[in-house]
Amino acid sequence: MIEVQHLTKRYGPTTAVDDISFRVEPGEILGFLGPNGAGKTTTMRVLTGYMPPTEGRAVVAGYDIFEQPIAAKRRIGYLPETPPLYPEMTVRDYLTFVSKIRGVPRAERRARVNDVMERTRVADVAQRHCGKLSKGYRQRVGLAQALLHNPEVLILDEPTAGLDPKQIIETRQLIKQLGGDHTVILSTHILPEVSQTCQRVVIINKGRVVAIDTPDNLTSRLRGSETMYVQIDAGANGAVQDALAAVPGVTHVAQTESRGTVASYEVNSDSGRDIRRELSAAVVNRGWGLLELRPLRMSLEEVFLHLTTEEAPHE
Amino acid sequence: MSNVLAIAHKELKGYFASPIAYIVIGFSAILFGWFFINLLYYFDRMSMQAVAGFGGGPQSMNVNEVLIAPLFLNVSVILLFTLPLVTMRTYSEEKRSGTIELLLTAPLTDFQIVMGKFLGGLVLYAAMLAVTLVHIGFLFAFGTPEWQPVATGYLGLLLMGACFLSLGLFVSSLTKNQIVAGMITFAVFLLFWVINWISSFTSPTTQGILNYLSITEHLNDFTRGVLDTKHLIYYVSFIAFSLFLTIRSVDSERWRG
Ligand SMILES: Nc1ncnc2c1ncn2[C@@H]1O[C@H](COP(=O)(O)OP(=O)(O)O)[C@@H](O)[C@H]1O
Ligand SMILES: [Mg+2]
Repeated sequence: MIEVQHLTKRYGPTTAVDDISFRVEPGEILGFLGPNGAGKTTTMRVLTGYMPPTEGRAVVAGYDIFEQPIAAKRRIGYLPETPPLYPEMTVRDYLTFVSKIRGVPRAERRARVNDVMERTRVADVAQRHCGKLSKGYRQRVGLAQALLHNPEVLILDEPTAGLDPKQIIETRQLIKQLGGDHTVILSTHILPEVSQTCQRVVIINKGRVVAIDTPDNLTSRLRGSETMYVQIDAGANGAVQDALAAVPGVTHVAQTESRGTVASYEVNSDSGRDIRRELSAAVVNRGWGLLELRPLRMSLEEVFLHLTTEEAPHE
Repeated sequence: MSNVLAIAHKELKGYFASPIAYIVIGFSAILFGWFFINLLYYFDRMSMQAVAGFGGGPQSMNVNEVLIAPLFLNVSVILLFTLPLVTMRTYSEEKRSGTIELLLTAPLTDFQIVMGKFLGGLVLYAAMLAVTLVHIGFLFAFGTPEWQPVATGYLGLLLMGACFLSLGLFVSSLTKNQIVAGMITFAVFLLFWVINWISSFTSPTTQGILNYLSITEHLNDFTRGVLDTKHLIYYVSFIAFSLFLTIRSVDSERWRG
């Protein structure tokens, strides 16, 4: 549903996003986890067609966001980091305006606006001016705005930022309900958020993808296991993942990238045990080419150090 | 088209939700009224002199030439001060508050966005002009002016205002700060307004170029009831070029991030 290929975005001399690739399957909720300044917002801005990438491409709902922006944008709902509200408009007028520019047919507008106001629990402030809303309401009107045209893909930049704990729980429940019918990418710098809402997580730091995995596997890695990055040229043989998993001491194997016969894996093992010897032997004995083998642990730890693990609302 | 109208409608609502629409319409009504009364007084005195001195009678004093045409030319002064207020926030404020992200990620083209904003400003400006119909209507009620110069005069004013509006949109697309946008717009308007003042001191060729560039210079024929394609082409291409520059500016901003 979403395919990001070798995406790079530079602002002048700063590289905000550096050659990242990942996919999101239909109906999946993908978490985009990283500390502040990691490049989450930048990636989302490229995916939503707000800005073109410096290099690489992104295909959303079957349309290249840069080649066919209008067709792609029709299928995307986007909650930017700052909810894009017009202070002088009432919530209802605002949502009606957005439904117009999002192409909701005239006959359905009223019903759609009412429906999303119900779902995001902002119906009680329908007549209030957007400029007079609290941070929590603003965030939820921003979410309502993204749902109006019932998009296939939802891109939510820090959807729970600025909410109180009760609202955070409600919003996460809403996002979970949205998964299945919608493909969702949400960004966050709060570690527990992804384990509660997302099926898969992309961890990003300083513009680079550090890990792509399920929240459970990530958490177990966090508990002091070691991660190796291996790149293998296995020719036509496909059973690399099983072979790696069979190496003594290995707890988990995840494929991160593959191009032709070359594929990259992240291999987890029990901490305190060096499996490099066994790992390389397993590869070489099968006649495969071992192109790269290096420990990843440091970079992951470095990222986790900067992540917020507390649930307390920030700012 | 419905996208353009949706944006235009939103812009108009924005004008009337803030004091801008009332300031702009009120200010222009007052200034126009002031010019009107002065010119009426002048017209009155001139007709008296005409009766006393040359015996031609008031009939020989043309209300169109002596009153309405100069009045229309004075409107450019009003636009100089009011139209920067209309356009200064169009892009600047969206950029500052982040709502530009909503517009640029909606299934809209840059062309539709700029046309919507242009149309919204144009409707507000038309409302401004509509107020002045009261004064002109007064002349029709108590006299017999020709209507053609009045009609072409209004067309000229609409086109001239549209030029200022499109230029203002472009300036607004360059900065996040609406005050800066307003001041630069005023300065640029002023430049186009005074550009032909020095023309009499320059060579005939330069003079021709400067006069041609002056937005206000092209209004003269319209106020005399003359529809010259030369002026129409000037105004329309001025508008098209400014709107084109605005689209380019929004697009290049995208690339820079
Ligand atoms: N418009 C911009 N111009 C220049 N640098 C930017 C801009 N936006 C973001 N950056 C830089 O790019 C990096 C990534 O930022 P961002 O994508 O906002 O990260 P995140 O959303 O993960 O906090 C940061 O170093 C930030 O300073
Ligand atoms: Mg961000």
